[in-house]
Amino acid sequence: MPHDQVAQVPTTDSHCPYCALQCAQRLGGHPVAAEPRDFPTNRGGLCQKGWTSGELLRTPDRLTQPLRRTADGLVPTTWDDALDDIAARVQTLRADHGPDAVAVFGGGGLTNEKAYQLGKFARLALRTRLVDYNGRFCMASAAAAANRSLGVDRGLPFPLTDLDDADAVLLLGSNLADTMPPSVQHLAGPRSRGGLVVVDPRRSATARLCDDGAGTHLQPLPGTDLVLLLGLLHVVLGEGLADVAYLRDRVDGVEEVRRSVAAWWPERVETVTGVAAGQLRDVARRLAAASPHRGGRGAYVLTGRGVEQHVDGTDTVSAAISLALALGLPGARRGGYGAITGQGNGQGGREHGQKADQLPGYRSIEDPADRAHVAAVWGVDPELLPRSGVPAVQLLSSLGTQDGPRGLFVHGSNVAVSAPRAGAVRDRLAALDLLVVCDVVPSETALLADYVLPVTQWAEEEGTMTSLEGRVLRRRRHLDPPALVRDELWIWAELARRLDAPGTWSTDASAVFDELARASAGGRADYAGLSHTRLDTGEALHWPCPDPDHPGTPRLFADRFATPSGRARMVPVRPVGPDDDVRADAPLHLVTGRLLAHYQSGAQTRRVPALCDAAGGPHVELHPSLAARLGLDGAELVRVTSARGSMVAPARITRDVRPDTVFVPFHFAGDSLVNALTNDATDPVSGMPEFKVCAVRVERVADDAGPSPARVLQEVES
Amino acid sequence: MRIVVVGAGMVGHRFVEETLRLDPAADVVLLGEESYEPYNRVLLSELVAGRTDLAALTLPEASGARVRRGVRAVELDVAARRVLLDDGSCEPWDHLVLAVGARARVLPLAGLDAGGGRLVGGAHVLRTVDDARGVVAGALNARRACVVGAGAIGVEVACGLRRRGLDVTVLASRDGVLDRDLDPRVSAVATRTLRDLDVAVVPQAGVRAVDVAHGHVDAVVLGDGTRVPTDLLVLATGSVPRTELAVEAGLTVRHGIVVDADLRTSDPTVSAIGDCAETPDGVSGLVAPGWAQADALAARLVRDRPVPTLPVQGATLRLKAVGLDVVTAGTRASTAHEDDRVLALDDAGARRYVEVVVRQGTLVGMTCVGSPELAARLSVQLDRPGVVPPDPLQLLVGAPEDQPGSPTTMPSSTTVCRCNGVTKADVVAAWDGGCCTVDEVVTTTRATTGCGGCRTLVCGLVDWLQEVDPAVPATSQEALAVRERGVAAR
Repeated sequence: MPHDQVAQVPTTDSHCPYCALQCAQRLGGHPVAAEPRDFPTNRGGLCQKGWTSGELLRTPDRLTQPLRRTADGLVPTTWDDALDDIAARVQTLRADHGPDAVAVFGGGGLTNEKAYQLGKFARLALRTRLVDYNGRFCMASAAAAANRSLGVDRGLPFPLTDLDDADAVLLLGSNLADTMPPSVQHLAGPRSRGGLVVVDPRRSATARLCDDGAGTHLQPLPGTDLVLLLGLLHVVLGEGLADVAYLRDRVDGVEEVRRSVAAWWPERVETVTGVAAGQLRDVARRLAAASPHRGGRGAYVLTGRGVEQHVDGTDTVSAAISLALALGLPGARRGGYGAITGQGNGQGGREHGQKADQLPGYRSIEDPADRAHVAAVWGVDPELLPRSGVPAVQLLSSLGTQDGPRGLFVHGSNVAVSAPRAGAVRDRLAALDLLVVCDVVPSETALLADYVLPVTQWAEEEGTMTSLEGRVLRRRRHLDPPALVRDELWIWAELARRLDAPGTWSTDASAVFDELARASAGGRADYAGLSHTRLDTGEALHWPCPDPDHPGTPRLFADRFATPSGRARMVPVRPVGPDDDVRADAPLHLVTGRLLAHYQSGAQTRRVPALCDAAGGPHVELHPSLAARLGLDGAELVRVTSARGSMVAPARITRDVRPDTVFVPFHFAGDSLVNALTNDATDPVSGMPEFKVCAVRVERVADDAGPSPARVLQEVES
Repeated sequence: MRIVVVGAGMVGHRFVEETLRLDPAADVVLLGEESYEPYNRVLLSELVAGRTDLAALTLPEASGARVRRGVRAVELDVAARRVLLDDGSCEPWDHLVLAVGARARVLPLAGLDAGGGRLVGGAHVLRTVDDARGVVAGALNARRACVVGAGAIGVEVACGLRRRGLDVTVLASRDGVLDRDLDPRVSAVATRTLRDLDVAVVPQAGVRAVDVAHGHVDAVVLGDGTRVPTDLLVLATGSVPRTELAVEAGLTVRHGIVVDADLRTSDPTVSAIGDCAETPDGVSGLVAPGWAQADALAARLVRDRPVPTLPVQGATLRLKAVGLDVVTAGTRASTAHEDDRVLALDDAGARRYVEVVVRQGTLVGMTCVGSPELAARLSVQLDRPGVVPPDPLQLLVGAPEDQPGSPTTMPSSTTVCRCNGVTKADVVAAWDGGCCTVDEVVTTTRATTGCGGCRTLVCGLVDWLQEVDPAVPATSQEALAVRERGVAAR
């Protein structure tokens, strides 16, 4: 849209730049600011991140021109010089080491159009197998478990508003009161009936929603969620609370799961999890009473990263799904299982080809028919498409090694802060011959790059996002980006041309979406009936939507599951426990998570003054009894150390954490980079790393010879 | 290497499962006497209580192993390394694992033996699924039940039968229930709890005989001659390791089949685990130590890993009884070392007793009666270094929860709206800036515009402001200070 036309439009309806709730916003005013719009998911609410999102357009250190690394650091260059040199270096790497010498790392914040085009760019322009994305850190375990049990992975296979009428909601490892506050409105119904059950080792803001009779907070030992779920299943199956007719008609594998939980009676579960057997029984009975087959108004089982980011995360989600199936919930009009997607386009971002083994529409890159379909849309021979690559952690740990990639493109991700064992990731990035980072601001990863390419952000671009409930939403351009900032679609088109890539490379988001729709046609995430024009009518459209007359699918599984047999599959699982468990020299559990005022690696939110005022720096939450043991009497600096690294931040003494556990938010870098400590051991099924539990020790900084407190405080305050 | 496992109970199964997990190609034969699929014996008392159904007890099949059910081992030919079975066949071994378990101990009481090793009608032990079925069937037609034995099984069965509505009497051999696992003072609290549930407990019962009428139990006769009439009799007087095969094979046997710290019997090609094994620390009657032995033996045989120290004494006892919560694990007051710190909260009037034992900063023992949630919290701290507070008293009492403030008393820095980081001071500032309704405060501060959860609180603040200070022309902080002083002075 030309500049003068934009100027005449007073306001633009779009959605928030942050999380997967995708609250509806109206952008307008001078300077540009965001206000909430009424919408089913956010119901006119915005959190502080959304309210202040206009500030992102005015960050003082916004990237406004391409930068190239020289002996003097990063210096401005021209787009032509940058793209010419990048293309030439890619050609050289490929000629010397083969196409897998260059890898791509994407992000769950990219629009559907960009996610799609990035996968296509990797396969057709770079010809590399090696593409994966930061969604591997968020949604991979839930996706793997949903696929193997339900046949498809759509975070919530029902509209969020369905929760309003439920009698019970079991929320496992999700702190949505901090991560997506407006969504809490949908818990009001179940809370008014005492039916919210929150499973979290920490008394989070969400756990506090259970206070005053609104529900039950279960506070298990970190890393024992799976055992807890097996105990709930044991009670449901053992006490005759299951929906027998549903299991007979719609579910396979029940007998194996029944046997697999026979050895997890509540008292045994108690000794592993620390959750009282009686409480476990009560929760199982409450969930059953809320289920439709026992006359309840509905029950939902929802998982978040807290239970998924483990070496047995996929199995944990499988157990959650088995529980929901035992209660007859998935596909029932008043119940279900769902995973609460985290990143803005965490849903769409995982559907359209950024994953190492997938093509658009959840197609498999190894399936001949899937390859043929996508190759036909792309106008190439299927033989040209590479095969499966490797998941994110494996990809990052191979960078710059003997047999690993020598070059990397990073889009919409800040891996130097967000990846597990981040210290090692930083070393791997440094070992690369070519690191190209596209970003809006000079993130910690961008500062390590050979080329930094400035790209558009949400209010400056057109596209679509798929929200946590599988509804496809329009992101709209309200204002022009700075003069030298470019859209990634343009960058990939320019590079594709320089690399003599086959296929067409549109820079128009609407046209790219139409191509995505064709590529996804017949796939599990079928967008074939959608277009920007149709979405602009405001129609509520959830995928699959296979043709232009199809009304979309707000609720999945009403008649059949997306498996070949049409029946759901219960999967028996076995707990393995944390990979890095507590021991004498690391006696405490470390859990990480988000603060309300910040988002992901903090690259955006740490640049918004109001958010820094609300939560300026990192901290280490510890229990008063642990503080007493460590001799802490206030907000002193403490050092937290795991087998992989250490960090320093002020202590925050609170009863919200268990006495055996410390909590650290993961939005901060420098000496307070908690992902320097987290474990990069991965789930064997999903490739998801075990962010959510590892063993640490905590010391007063005064007691050791770490970096000077003054320096850390300075960083914390800056 | 062919491994033959005799005994397809929970420990035998666990061993097979773990062996095949470590080496999916392992050559394992599992021999089971019962014709049933494997089941969870620990839950038999739950079956009696009617808290679980039989199908929920069935354990996973040992996939990957050759399983022979309904065959009884009749002889171990150690010299030839083979097991002879009652169907005339035999199974050769490279390594033999005995997991034959224990049998219920039956006291030699007059009137109890109906001949042929059978118990008189109406009398049952509780060791197998068939036993549990017998008890449940007997309970249907019974009004009164007697349980001989006041250990964990006896108490669980007593509570289970009470839950089914029977009049239940527990006949204890000593003063109270669970007296092997609990110190006398604690046992007394548990016994009183049981009586509160209308379960009669007879101490020092000295059961002497069983009166029989028409081939069925009619009463139990106690040491002092008292006759306790009953329709159903459950014998829960402990178990005896099954050692016959081992004895006949010439293996060393004392109370159980004697094994060394590596779980080897006196023959190096034979190991024993579970309830039949007598380790250097004794014989276990609980499943957890048996499972630990199974895992350790599998790791030794498959991976050649050393067997860790496997304590039997002090294993966690977590009672599964409706109405009586008892957990005890590790050291207790009577077994504590001189330098241990033993802290106890004795609240017998409320049927509650909590005790912790701390050794060099680590929780090494816990006993909780009537305090299930504290028991749950403590049980995951047991033997875990680095987490006990300097004053272990905090383990028992904790500290009072933070109380949410009222609009009047909450500090001005208190966050009112978390979603938008709005404090009480911000609301007061908006008020002083001219807002005089909730909606105006909302528009100015954005409070309530996230999740909306703070709406009540904001309304309360506005009500309070309207009440205490309808219009104060001062700076917000001063106004706030004035108001708070004023309120405090009231």
